[in-house]
Amino acid sequence: MKKTLLFVLLVAALSVSLFANGKGESQAANFPTKPIHVIVYTGPGGAGDILTRKAMDIAAKYTKATFVVENKPGAGGIVTMEYVKSVPADGYTLMYVTKSNISKLVSTSSAINPTKEFDWISMMQIDPECVITNNKTNVVTWAQVVADAKAKNGKQLWLGPAAGGLDNVTAMRIWKAAGIKATWVPFASGGKAKAALLGKQGATYTGNPGEIIGKPDFSIAAVCLDKRLPQFPDVPTFKELGVKGVSGEIIWRGFAVKKGTPDSVIAWYNDLFEKISKDPDWIKAYAPKGNQLVHYTKDKFNKMVADDYAGYKMTLGK
Amino acid sequence: MDLLSNLVTGFGYLAGFQPVVAIVVGVILGILAGAMPGLSPSMGVALLVPFTYKLSPQISLILLGSIYIAANYGGSITAVTINTPGTPSAVVTSFDGYPLTRKGKAGVGLGTSLVASTVGGIIGTIILIFFSVPLARLAVKLHPAEYFALAIFGLATVASLGGKNWAKAFLAAMLGLLINTIGIDPISGVQRFTFGNYKLFDGFALVPALIGLFALSEVFTRLEEYKLEKGVESTFEKTQWPKFIDYWKLKLTILRSSVIGTLIGIFPGAGATIAAFLSYDVAKKSSKHPETFGTGNPEGVAAAEAANSSSVGGALVPLLALGIPGSATTAVLIGALMIHDVNPGPLLFVERPDIVYSLFAALLVANFVMLGLGLFGSRLWIKVTVIPKKVLLPSILAISIVGSFAVHYSFFDVASCIGFGFAGWLLKKYGFPVAPIVLGMVLGKLAETNFRRAVIMGGYKVFFTRPASVILLLLAVASFAVPLIQTHNANKKEKEAGGTPEK
Repeated sequence: MKKTLLFVLLVAALSVSLFANGKGESQAANFPTKPIHVIVYTGPGGAGDILTRKAMDIAAKYTKATFVVENKPGAGGIVTMEYVKSVPADGYTLMYVTKSNISKLVSTSSAINPTKEFDWISMMQIDPECVITNNKTNVVTWAQVVADAKAKNGKQLWLGPAAGGLDNVTAMRIWKAAGIKATWVPFASGGKAKAALLGKQGATYTGNPGEIIGKPDFSIAAVCLDKRLPQFPDVPTFKELGVKGVSGEIIWRGFAVKKGTPDSVIAWYNDLFEKISKDPDWIKAYAPKGNQLVHYTKDKFNKMVADDYAGYKMTLGK
Repeated sequence: MDLLSNLVTGFGYLAGFQPVVAIVVGVILGILAGAMPGLSPSMGVALLVPFTYKLSPQISLILLGSIYIAANYGGSITAVTINTPGTPSAVVTSFDGYPLTRKGKAGVGLGTSLVASTVGGIIGTIILIFFSVPLARLAVKLHPAEYFALAIFGLATVASLGGKNWAKAFLAAMLGLLINTIGIDPISGVQRFTFGNYKLFDGFALVPALIGLFALSEVFTRLEEYKLEKGVESTFEKTQWPKFIDYWKLKLTILRSSVIGTLIGIFPGAGATIAAFLSYDVAKKSSKHPETFGTGNPEGVAAAEAANSSSVGGALVPLLALGIPGSATTAVLIGALMIHDVNPGPLLFVERPDIVYSLFAALLVANFVMLGLGLFGSRLWIKVTVIPKKVLLPSILAISIVGSFAVHYSFFDVASCIGFGFAGWLLKKYGFPVAPIVLGMVLGKLAETNFRRAVIMGGYKVFFTRPASVILLLLAVASFAVPLIQTHNANKKEKEAGGTPEK
């Protein structure tokens, strides 16, 4: 008798849980029930890896969910995007993303359409692009860069990472807006390009303001913003120097999931990333680098990705 | 002196429970990561980075620095015992290390690699401590033309690597260079031989290729022999460990290789592997018996290991003095420092001397800890050589597959590892050496991208107007031509003497 009762109860419990699993809403109500995998397109120890681990470390203050950070480097993020495309859209796979991923998709003519495959759910940082110079040379300020460029007539060297990448496209847009000509010298990494700038092998390096911290030989000639950065009050913006139309040259960083992830799961992430973006540890780690710390959610972020995708297609002629 | 008093303070910092534990744990983990094919020093360091979040920046850097030092030694263990270089730079160690093991002298190989690594590591660290600032200034002056010339100099060693077999070695190096052209062109962004497959965008990864060419091809070759032997196991005789006097005989080789290794390490991006190839080449050329290289000459092991361990000190020069990473591993170290809001760069010496000098002190201590643990460990590792083949061969196969998977967590890498394994087995069957393929793969991208970068920056004349580039290119020509002429003359003499020239 006792056994029969136990059996009936067990069946009842099982069917309830099955029923519950079948319904999206109640599944999401107790999301997550298993570890969440966070896929990072840089190798362990890379800037993106560090950012992701920092964010997940802070997340542990606000949720009991387990996050497993996994690195799937390769092809500038395409390996990661192909992987996330292949998993179920249940929210258990989160992806670290940056604007570089979009330029990579366009420059490699990838079949992945970022707006169709993924929902871009939380943008966390906006880091303006800037032109960095070596202040031990005669080309330090933006006016000097322009004068030198005109004197060299296209032979001024701009050092930076890969051709067709985000920094290269930024440089091309700056040249166009400022009416100058220069030559892009692609290095294997931003670090190696910066070494060459220290060695006075070129005139400028295109990157982000945080990259000059701790390096007294570097100055920022101008930054791609409308207003000066509070962290770098002496650095002029391109706008005030009369170079128009490059204020939006930024790199953003955030997180995305596969398209089709339930809205309730995305709402759960919104809540979590909102808390992370306001967390003092997060602010302490990233504010001094010149980042604008934000939290843009799905609709705004999706729109930005669509615009960036179209913009790269136009600039790179694809 | 300011430097010395800072260094004393640095040593003072190590006198505590945490720093000592960090060094010992770091050295143990480093040796294991280095010995595991697939876990290169940079990955060993990277895997530990998340564990350092909760530690102080000093302890983090001490731990990671110890791993870095020890991993370069760890790679030699499997290179010597089972011909499976644990790290790319240990490829060179296997040239003479493995023949020693096959002769039953694994103890000589292991002992020499340990001592050479230790001395090399210490010399590299000392050069780092005393000359980091002037060397760093030199490092940033290196133009792409010089990098190109260095890569050509490295490639020229193929002539002496090959010996009498130089034509086949040359072809193998060309094969490595060709493999390197697969992937997205790093200068223009054009896809080459990718067939639109994103898995080929970055070309073939070096580590799976390395494991395939060395470890798997060895397994296949031995499987063939195994049938013939009808299951007879080689009997293990008690091996001889080298005595102090044996090490003393290697002093010049170790010293020279350490200086070469440190200097090459300073070139951002050149690294341990090129250092090992060049030092081996120099050791062979300055030896009275160059013909014994490749047949189990301890000098070859010493040259390779002293060079790759001392390159660590060199690679840290641009990192600490400029905040610029000189190798994949130092790029990870920069990340680890930035987590703690420490910005590496010239100001680091002024603002945080505690971090810099405790790292210097820890690197010196880590080398001695490595020597101690290595002396103890060698007695264990040598037992690998008595494992019966029917256990050892499947184990190598398993380690190879896991190791190649570990690089990017990708089955594509596993498949390419197996492909390279078959290719390596076939090539060896027809008398082609596989090491030049690795040389071609390591140097191909360096040579190509820097050639094109140099042309973008200064036109074709730039290679001949920069003195350092000219000197390196002339050295490369000499280094390529001299062994060929020697071989030619030797053959001629043999003919004149009436003997039949060797095939």
